[in-house]
Amino acid sequence: MLPIIHWNLISLEVLMTIILVMLVLLDIFLPKDVRDDWIGTLSFIFLFGLILFWIDQRDIRGVTFNKMFVMDSLAWFFKGFFLVVMVFIFAMTRQYFKSLGQRRNEFYLLLWLALIGLCFIASSADFLLMFIAIEILTISLYVLTAYLKSDKLSIEAGMKYLILGSLASGFFLYGMSLLYGVTRSTGFEMIQSFVNTHAMTPLSLFAVVLIFAAVAFKIAAVPFHMWVPDVYQGAPTPVTALLSVGSKAAGFLILIRLFFGIFAGWHPQWSLVLAILSAITMTYGNLVAIYQTNIKRLLGYSSIAHAGFLLMGASAGSMLGAAAINFYLLGYLFTNLAAFLVIVLFSAETHRDEIEDYAGLSKRSGILAFSLLLSLVSLAGIPPLAGFFGKFTLLMAVVNRGYIWLALVAAVNIVISLYYYLMIVKRIYVDLPINASPIAVSLSMRLILGIAIFGIVTIGIFQGPFLDAALTAVKGMYLFHL
Amino acid sequence: MIPLGAYLLLSGLVFSIGIIGVVTSRQVIKVLLSLELLLAACNLSFVTFSKFNGDYTGQLIVFFVILVAAAEVAIGLAIVVLMYRHLSTLQADELRTMKW
Repeated sequence: MLPIIHWNLISLEVLMTIILVMLVLLDIFLPKDVRDDWIGTLSFIFLFGLILFWIDQRDIRGVTFNKMFVMDSLAWFFKGFFLVVMVFIFAMTRQYFKSLGQRRNEFYLLLWLALIGLCFIASSADFLLMFIAIEILTISLYVLTAYLKSDKLSIEAGMKYLILGSLASGFFLYGMSLLYGVTRSTGFEMIQSFVNTHAMTPLSLFAVVLIFAAVAFKIAAVPFHMWVPDVYQGAPTPVTALLSVGSKAAGFLILIRLFFGIFAGWHPQWSLVLAILSAITMTYGNLVAIYQTNIKRLLGYSSIAHAGFLLMGASAGSMLGAAAINFYLLGYLFTNLAAFLVIVLFSAETHRDEIEDYAGLSKRSGILAFSLLLSLVSLAGIPPLAGFFGKFTLLMAVVNRGYIWLALVAAVNIVISLYYYLMIVKRIYVDLPINASPIAVSLSMRLILGIAIFGIVTIGIFQGPFLDAALTAVKGMYLFHL
Repeated sequence: MIPLGAYLLLSGLVFSIGIIGVVTSRQVIKVLLSLELLLAACNLSFVTFSKFNGDYTGQLIVFFVILVAAAEVAIGLAIVVLMYRHLSTLQADELRTMKW
């Protein structure tokens, strides 16, 4: 008997795949002189169409494909998240390759492939599907990282990312095989019922640790962070932005699905470990970030630090903790992407990413300086902005759990991070520019920057609806269990 | 009949050799080979569990893993070619333009 497949649940991914295939065909058959503009423009149009389609899907819930594919509130929330991320990434790509003059069509196609991988990660309810979705995402990211074929840094970053990323997926797969051996299944539902009825054995502990190691690689938590600075610095800036927001969010999505869902029955065993990892991660990221001279590398270390903050929510192991992760990621999306937009626009003019070049940016372009100021201040967590309330909810979750020491470590870290973020702000506003030529920002880029700033300020001031959205995403999660 | 433990030991051994290879090799090609060993170890353990659990999912997964491994090594070798052209070296420890 053939299982019944509910195609409406998977229609978003099917549409994306059709769009990808269509764009590949267009790339082959369109005449050379119009092709370059069309792929980018069409990508934008399709992306907005998909966002409308995603809004239309808000009430569709269910499990299909023999319980491999799930469409729940968490999947819906994160699919929208990834679509919005991609709007920014496509805008950056357009700007980035305008000044570079390389072929950019494959870049768009690979970004679409990465988006498909991200959406499948959001919807997977089986370790097999999850593994393949992660591989779709990471393999397209390897190619994107090494995309600047004649740039030494890009090749070096691609090689490093490929080696360490494959190592992480090896860990994931080995953990998955051991878990399969113990539980006799790869489906989340079967594994959860096994976890709820059996105590943890050394073998299953080993399997969970291996899987966690792979996830920690994705979110850039400390023992598995070595790739972050190099890859962030060497990769093309749109890819760095995708890694820092999309890939990290995917990692936390997996973390929520596994540790607030199927492994939640073993919660007492991993809560403290996550808390310690979180403290080490944020301290390391913030301390090393102080010494950076390259802005992409600095944001790499700051993204390690933010992984530490986000892990606080995971260690809390409560519904508030998971909701705080979702909410923080929403704020982080607009904040970090605004910063990367500024970096792209700045380097399009100057072709440099060193922090010293940002001296006197306020005199060269008011809008760039202001956007960077807002995003850095929000990353640091200063009150009326998105980053502040995100950190606040995370701290609240941790304090409720009883980890006062972790909240104190986080408070110290916020102060350290203020130091290096404000050093950049000082450079932008107080220092005198070396080269005072103004930087032009086109109208469309102003619009995108405006959306990002609007997001930062709105999430900071009207937290209510966003916090509600984050909470409903967790509440309606498939197999949610605490 | 060979017991389950023997197969698992072998797969664990291959996995450890793979990790040691990734960590200690200086040649990028050797690193890629070691990465393949990791996936091979996983495949062995999947097939073993599939046999001993009497469940076919494990053998099915192996096919997907082989596909993923092929894709990964294809990208890896492409980057190795780029590396050889532009950095004219295949030594992993010369990849250190970026530090700190």
